[in-house]
Amino acid sequence: MADNTSQQLLDMWKRQVEEGTQAWLKMMGQGAPGAAPPMDPQAFWRPFMDQGMAAWSKVMTQGSAPAPDLMAQWKQFLDQWIAAWSRVLEQAMGTDTFARMMGKQLEGFLNASGPAKKVAEQQIDASLAGLGIASRAQVVALARHLAQVEEKLDGLEDKIDRLLRGAGGTERA
Amino acid sequence: MKDDLFTMMGEMPAMSPELLARMREEANRNLLRMKHWSEMVMNPKEPEVGPTPRQLIYRTNKSSLWRYESRRTVRTPLLFVPNLGISRPYIFDLMPKGSFIEHMTQQGFDFFLVDWGVFGEEDNGLTVEDAVTKILPRLARKALEASGASEMSVLGYCMGAPLSASFVATHPEFPLKNYVDMAGPIDFAHVGLFGKWLAPEIFDVDKYVDTLGSIPAEMVKMGFKLLKPTMDLSTNLNLWWNLWNPDYVNGFNALNKWANEYLPFPGEFFRHWVKDFYQQNRLVKGELTMAGRRVDLREIHCPVLAVGAKEDNIAPPACVKPLIDIVSTRDKEYVELPGGHISLIAGRGASVHCWPKVASWLAARS
Repeated sequence: MADNTSQQLLDMWKRQVEEGTQAWLKMMGQGAPGAAPPMDPQAFWRPFMDQGMAAWSKVMTQGSAPAPDLMAQWKQFLDQWIAAWSRVLEQAMGTDTFARMMGKQLEGFLNASGPAKKVAEQQIDASLAGLGIASRAQVVALARHLAQVEEKLDGLEDKIDRLLRGAGGTERA
Repeated sequence: MKDDLFTMMGEMPAMSPELLARMREEANRNLLRMKHWSEMVMNPKEPEVGPTPRQLIYRTNKSSLWRYESRRTVRTPLLFVPNLGISRPYIFDLMPKGSFIEHMTQQGFDFFLVDWGVFGEEDNGLTVEDAVTKILPRLARKALEASGASEMSVLGYCMGAPLSASFVATHPEFPLKNYVDMAGPIDFAHVGLFGKWLAPEIFDVDKYVDTLGSIPAEMVKMGFKLLKPTMDLSTNLNLWWNLWNPDYVNGFNALNKWANEYLPFPGEFFRHWVKDFYQQNRLVKGELTMAGRRVDLREIHCPVLAVGAKEDNIAPPACVKPLIDIVSTRDKEYVELPGGHISLIAGRGASVHCWPKVASWLAARS
C-alpha cells in the first residue's frame, strides 16, 4: 500500500519535472520547429530519480524509523536535484533567446526608470532648495571637487618625490 | 517516567547497537541544528572577519594600501590586486585558519593588499585607465617604498588580474619580479555567461550608464545571483545539513556576510570595463591604450603563473589560460585547480590546493 502511494507520488513528480522542462524549453524557443535539437530532460533527471527511488524503497522496507544513512542519501538526492536544475538553468540561460529576453527586460526597466528618476530628482531638488538645504547634486559635486583636489595633491607629491629622487641621484653622482 | 530519549531508545529491542548509535548521533545533531538555528534567528552575531593584523600604508580618495604583519622571511614582497567594485576584499582574510592572507604571511611573505574601496556617485568619472595608470602605480610604489625591497611580485585576482596585468605591461619601470593571475579573465572571448549577456547587441552599456549614473550594488548582486540561480538553495541546504557543526556555522556566517555585501561600480569604469574588455576583447588583441601607452601583455617578461578554477563560471579556465601564451617569458606555468571562482581562493579546498601552490611557486622565485 505504502509502496503504491509512494510510486504514485514519484510518478506525479516525475511528470511535473518533465512537463516543467518542456515548458521551459518551449519558452526558450528550443521547442520551436526548425530550432536546434532540444535538450533531453530525461538525461538530467534520470540519475537523481533513480537515487530517489532507491532511497524511497529503503524507507518503505525499513519501516517508520528512518536510519541516519537514509538522511545522507536524501541529502545526496537533493544535491543531485539542485545540480540537475542548475545544469538545466545554466543551459537555458546560455541561449541567445534568454540573453535577448534579458536585454529587453533591462531596456524596459531603463526606459521606465530614467524619466521617473529625473522627475523625482527635480522634485527633491526643488523641495530642498525651498528649504535652503544643499541638494544631492550639490553635495556630490562638492565631494567630486574634494576628490579632484586630493588627486592634484597626490600628483604634486609624486612630482616632488621624483625631483627628490633625481636630486639624490645627482648628489650621489 | 523516564525523560531521557536516548535511554528510551536503548530499550527498543529490534534495533542493532550500531544503528542505535547512529540514531543517537543523528538525534544529537538534530538538537544541535535546532540550537544553532535558533541562535542564528533569535540572536544573530556579527561575524568577525579580517583577523590578520595589518597597517594602513597609504590612502588616496577611496582606495587604500594595507600591509599585513609577517616575519618577512621571503625577500620579495607581494602586492595583491583584487577586483574593483563587486565585493569587499576581506574574503581573502575571512577568518583564522580560513584566510589566504594569513597563509601567505605565515609563509613569510611581506603582503600588501590593494583595497579599492567603495566608490560613490562623486567617483562616477573614474575610468579603468585611471585605476591602471593613476591609482595602481601610486599604491605599488608606496608598497615598494614601505617594504624597502628593490623588486615586487604582483598577484591579480579576478578583475584585479586584467587591471594589474595592464599596469605592469604599461609600466616597464616598475621592478616586477613575478606575476600571478588567479582566476583573472584575459581572453574575454571565453568568458562564459557574462560574455553572452553583455554582448553589444544585447546590452546597451551607454544607455545603462547614462540612465543610472553608477551601477548600484543591487544590480551587481542581481547579475551574480542570476549566474548561479540555484546557489542560494544549495547554500541553505548545506547549511541545514551542517548546522550541527559550530565550526561550519561560524564559517557560514562569515562567508554569508561577505556574499551579501555587494559594491557598486563607478559609471565610467563600468562603461569602459564592459566595452573594452567584454564587448571588444581589446586586452588580448593588444588594442588597449592607457595614458598614451599601448597595453601589450608581451611586455611582461618576468615569471608568470596563471591559476584557473575548474568550475569557475565567472572567469572560466579558457579565459585565464591565454595569458600564458601571450607573455614573453620562458618561466611560465598554468595550473587548473578544483573549485569555483571563490572557492579557488577561500575555504577548505583553497587551503589544500591553491594557497600552497601559489606560495611555493612564488617562494621559489622570490
